[in-house]
Amino acid sequence: MEAIMRLGRTFVPPWLERWTEKHSSPLVVFLVALFLAVFLYGIVTTDNFLNLFNLKTIIRDAALVGIMGIGLTFVTLSGNFFLLSMKETAALCIIAFAMGMSNGWGFELSLLATMGVAVGAGVLQGLLIGLGGNPIVVTLGAAGVFIGIASWWSDNLVVSFRRPNDAEWLGTGSFLGLPNITIAFILIAVLAEVVLRYTRFGRQVYLIGANRAAGKATGHENLPMAIKVCTIASVCSGFVAVAFAAQISSAQANYFSSEFGSSGDMTILVIATVMVGGNSIMGGYGSTLRTSLGAVFIAVIDNMMVLRGFNSGPRVLAVGLMIVFSIIVFSLAQKGSRAQE
Amino acid sequence: MEVPPTAEPILSLSGISRSFGAIQALSDVRFEVRPGEIMGLVGENGAGKSTLVKIVGGFDDGYTGTYEFSGSSVRFHSPGAAELAGIAIAQQELSLIPAMTVAENIFLAGHNVRTIATKRTLAGQARRYLDEVGLSDIDPSSRVDRLSVGEQHLVEVARLIAHDPKVLILDEPTAALGESDSLRIIDMVKRLAKAGKSIIYVSHRLDEIFKITDRITVLRDGQSQPPRQAKELDVNSLVEMMLGRKLENMFPDRKAGERRRPLMSVRNLWPDGALEPVDFDVFGGEILGLAGQLGSGTGEILAAIAGAHKTRSGTVEFAGESFLPKNPRAAIRRKIGYCSDDRKYDGLFLGRPIRENLVSPALETVSRFGWIAGNAERKKAREIAEKFTVDVSRLRAEAGVLSGGNQQKVALGKWLAISPKVILVNEPTRGVDVGAKAEIYRKMRDLADDGAAIIFASTDMQEITYLPDRVITYYRGMQIGEFDLASISTAGILKQITDPFDETNL
Repeated sequence: MEAIMRLGRTFVPPWLERWTEKHSSPLVVFLVALFLAVFLYGIVTTDNFLNLFNLKTIIRDAALVGIMGIGLTFVTLSGNFFLLSMKETAALCIIAFAMGMSNGWGFELSLLATMGVAVGAGVLQGLLIGLGGNPIVVTLGAAGVFIGIASWWSDNLVVSFRRPNDAEWLGTGSFLGLPNITIAFILIAVLAEVVLRYTRFGRQVYLIGANRAAGKATGHENLPMAIKVCTIASVCSGFVAVAFAAQISSAQANYFSSEFGSSGDMTILVIATVMVGGNSIMGGYGSTLRTSLGAVFIAVIDNMMVLRGFNSGPRVLAVGLMIVFSIIVFSLAQKGSRAQE
Repeated sequence: MEVPPTAEPILSLSGISRSFGAIQALSDVRFEVRPGEIMGLVGENGAGKSTLVKIVGGFDDGYTGTYEFSGSSVRFHSPGAAELAGIAIAQQELSLIPAMTVAENIFLAGHNVRTIATKRTLAGQARRYLDEVGLSDIDPSSRVDRLSVGEQHLVEVARLIAHDPKVLILDEPTAALGESDSLRIIDMVKRLAKAGKSIIYVSHRLDEIFKITDRITVLRDGQSQPPRQAKELDVNSLVEMMLGRKLENMFPDRKAGERRRPLMSVRNLWPDGALEPVDFDVFGGEILGLAGQLGSGTGEILAAIAGAHKTRSGTVEFAGESFLPKNPRAAIRRKIGYCSDDRKYDGLFLGRPIRENLVSPALETVSRFGWIAGNAERKKAREIAEKFTVDVSRLRAEAGVLSGGNQQKVALGKWLAISPKVILVNEPTRGVDVGAKAEIYRKMRDLADDGAAIIFASTDMQEITYLPDRVITYYRGMQIGEFDLASISTAGILKQITDPFDETNL
């Protein structure tokens, strides 16, 4: 252990060392540096990685997971752990949206109805968690309920709606060369960060997350907080569901369990963005900006692996390893900062 | 007992230095204990007491200097090695297993006992050690979690004694105990010393130190001073040695005010767990002390007024309103602030910046339309920090990096942000060193002078006697009596909080 620390120190320039002395241990810096080195090596040696088209693809891939990750970050920062129902909420919402579209309600009304469903799902879970329910149990239960309703409602079939339709602009449209969904990701990321940093609500998220008992003692109760953050996370899920349906003009209850992204499981992928971004699972530390970067980072790794011809097995493994890795680094960093006291 | 001044020390450290990175925790420290001697070890937080104790007990072997034990030079690389040699430490935190019996806990390590033993043999063997610590009246086969906290501390010591140590280190043994339990500990320490054991006694409670120790070693800023006979010192000279300067007045002046109308009246308040409802008034500008031992219910009364504890009934009449706050939020809205006795649990956001801590109860006052106004926040935090002598340049640092005393100042000072009318404080100086104590007393007085009413609960006899303008006493959930400024006395209070009904004479 000590040898690794010493090795770590030799690779670290003095200014960085001063910074890390304040923030974390040299071992953490060494691990992160090692990881970045592998990462840069990959970028430089992978064909077709560094071109504009591919970079745009990466951001677009990161967008959907990233938006859900941003929503989930509010829950995690406030000390309410994770919603394990992210993909099931999205499933329920995508079916609701597609049903609306295929019944000819039009984009606006379908969107509104879908958001209603998302808010309902969020308030329900937030209420149960805020009243003292264990977040894991509550959201696992809710996940079962949501996916059950979605499958039953759609008979487990693909619900498609005719093209052209007035939702396509969101799914496939672009503005100034950037896909609209990418723009939405950037806007949401900025908005979320501003809300967390500069509003009273954002401050309460951090305070309650850092110490729920002290939050209560200073007049910030977790019940309203849990309802708000769960609703934010659910609405983000719902929005992603709408955007995804708009891309392919169809919906199925299992889209987010099997057909999506590298790992095939949206919930794990979303949790990975929060973790890889370096947010504390216990709440109180982190930001949505970190999650956004985490999402881009995961998308880059995944993209590199696709370009190098890896199939889904190793790619799932990579996501899993990144979660484990981030947990280790984060807990080490925390120990480092505690040793400073 | 009287230790011959010429006796050879059983344990002697000299030239001990220890640094952590750039921080020099100990430098050239001398420390010794003679056989059968009770050596007090005192110093402010951060003076190096715990580092020294860790070295003595084998928890830390990264020091330089010589360590002699029983006449030979030693260096313990683990607590186990020190224990084997005959040095035992009773930590502040209990390490008993609650669901096991007293006897089982005593022989947990398996020393001096057969590999296979029935509960009865264990209990029989445990008896001896329980007698030694003065616990003859408890059944060795009763479960540890049935005992009082004080009795558990004694069992912890009994367990250490089962290894027959030559030197016993007690680290703040009475910090969490009430008066009568503390007396039992002190009793035990004296008994053990008489039996020839050497005791190192670490404590913040200065009155106690004088009661029991033979000699006292003072640590200041990592440096030791030659041990002094306890008889030669008094509280003031000891505090002076600890601080390196004179502490003018530990407690600010009090005044018996001419008080007409109460600021707040507590009526029929019955906190869950109390024996009967309580009634009292508090006046603006005064400091009211609630005296009582652990389990007397004083902390619960404060928590109940603040909406942080369940109540069966009662009202608080305050500012023309009659109410009972459902939660702290409701109390804060009426400008009632409450500090519990556990600042790490619910008094501070340790991982958040000090500035955020200071404005946490009053986000409304530093924000407009839901947006936090950075300037207003900085200004407010700076104002409070200056008033409470918290280093203004550190407002961006996490509250967790502060020392215990400074943390307590932040935990208390944050209530300034709501412009409080009533401040409730449970154990205002728990785990706080003597210099910071004086500052906290000063701040509480300042708040009262600004017109607020301060109600605090304390088990510390010194502060409950000398800080408040008025004292109300409690015993096992019952309100017993009241002292005004002219009649406050330690003896009077002690009588009412330990034995109000003269049970010993019944």
